Amino acid sequence: MSSHDLKPLPAETRSSLLSGHDWIALVFVAMTFLIPVFSTNPQVLSQTNLILIAATAALGVYIMQRLDLMSFAVPSFMAIGGYTVALISMKLHVTDVLILAAAAFLMPALCAIPLGSLILRLKGVYFVLVTFVLTEIVQLLLFEAGPITGGANGLVGMPAVKLFGFELWDNPHVLLTTCGLAVLSFAITSLFTRTFRHEFAAIETNDVLAESLGLAAWKYKAMAFSIAAGVSGLAGFALVNMLMTAHPSSFAPMSSVNYITYTIVGGKASILGTLIGALLLVSATDYFALSGEMSPGLFGLLIIIVTLVARGGVVGVVSGLLYRLVGKTTPLNTGETGHAAQEHANQKEGRP
Amino acid sequence: MLRIDDLHVTYGGTRAVAGVTLTVDQGQTVLLIGANGAGKSSLINAVIGLAKISQGKIMFDGHDIGSMSSDARARLGIGYSPEGRRVFASMTVKDNVLAGAVTLNGREQVRSWDKLVASFPFLAERQAQAAGELSGGQQQLVAIARAMSGRPKLLLLDEPFLGLAPVWIQQISIAVRQMQQDGITVLMTEQMARPALKLAHSGHIMRGGLIRRSGAVHEIKGAALAEEYL
Repeated sequence: MSSHDLKPLPAETRSSLLSGHDWIALVFVAMTFLIPVFSTNPQVLSQTNLILIAATAALGVYIMQRLDLMSFAVPSFMAIGGYTVALISMKLHVTDVLILAAAAFLMPALCAIPLGSLILRLKGVYFVLVTFVLTEIVQLLLFEAGPITGGANGLVGMPAVKLFGFELWDNPHVLLTTCGLAVLSFAITSLFTRTFRHEFAAIETNDVLAESLGLAAWKYKAMAFSIAAGVSGLAGFALVNMLMTAHPSSFAPMSSVNYITYTIVGGKASILGTLIGALLLVSATDYFALSGEMSPGLFGLLIIIVTLVARGGVVGVVSGLLYRLVGKTTPLNTGETGHAAQEHANQKEGRP
Repeated sequence: MLRIDDLHVTYGGTRAVAGVTLTVDQGQTVLLIGANGAGKSSLINAVIGLAKISQGKIMFDGHDIGSMSSDARARLGIGYSPEGRRVFASMTVKDNVLAGAVTLNGREQVRSWDKLVASFPFLAERQAQAAGELSGGQQQLVAIARAMSGRPKLLLLDEPFLGLAPVWIQQISIAVRQMQQDGITVLMTEQMARPALKLAHSGHIMRGGLIRRSGAVHEIKGAALAEEYL
């Protein structure tokens, strides 16, 4: 083959700022700004609030999944973000939503750096265990550090937040605040995971091999842990803003199971999966009026079923069906990454 | 360029490399031959930092790299193509190849890619395809191209011919010759002595974690092909 026959080279194949799934998720989340325009039903507003908070919190799990790490630490960083906002607004009387959002992102992100340096050396089940223990420790601290956190009573009576001096106090305004925080979180997550997608894919598939090629895996893991913490902090802000209270029970360790379930059931390979998972499962929980005690157990069962039957989750299954319909079956197109794609390729070639 | 002194590698209680000393000079292609369990891959892994050394010293380009992290060694100029054609299955061929060029800037990466494509046109033909979907030989070539893309000073090739059809052995031999022309120093391991000996300047025959014979290719050829070592 002569050089004239070569296909387009790097300049022609440069990729876009965000992937298709990233754009769909962002547009979908942004569209929730319109809900208060069309409905004033408190049930609709409350349900949308819960879905957006759940999806935002689950982004913390999604980011760490890019590196094949299963994090139970989301409630810890939500608590740090939520309590930071409550303390700043109640003690310092700062209610500007932009300042509070910056604080809710930065405080957990900064806390995650020293924590990450300790726990990111771990992999697999050890990482899972330590992140879960971290959530228990944070819960204990919230109860024990009464003078700061209000102990078992929490911090009650947060003032309404303001945007350019305009008070966002009623239900529609609270939803608009949550929408803004959710859009910000989805934008940060999309840009971050898109920018480093090659590095993350390499580390997810084989971090040892990635390191042998010169990729400092610890650096990317630390960045991801910090950004995941920041995004979780924004979810914590949205939650305390909705409840007007920062209370330890809002950040219960077992709630981490919910966030993991949203990510896995929706499809952990795509940010759209996180949103779809939260949408389906928060709605289902409400629809079936499940009691709080039962939902972690049922969600655990759901994780097992999805892991066994459809590892790509809802988005993976639907994408796979759509691409099969148009005759494309490559792992790149079905959104599979890392291990999933390797299994796909092995099956195709009959390798073990 | 690479000097290994009295290298020991142990896994638990098992000694994989038991006191190996060797030197690889600039621009040379040195071959390690031996059967399974001879300690070849452990030695390569110790050089790139995937296996911890229990005793001995590894000097590369004047640096003592024995205690360095794997990524730091790669950034010093050591390229590595692992045994068993390990590619990043979900990434495209092009992204796989450029994953080895993280130390280069954007323009250098483009130049490196262009050069590899000129030598191996199939990389351009399959650039947008997931690497996990390629055949075994193609995957091996992608892994070698990935190791070459960062313009390493020293390239470690671990069993590059393992399980490949003759046509791909030929392609990979072309790749190794290309590296030699570019002045890249190569340390490779191989069980298939016959094609590997055609590429190397010198070699070492390993067995039981030790070097049993060393010398120029014509000196060790007979022993390397002898059944007891294969």
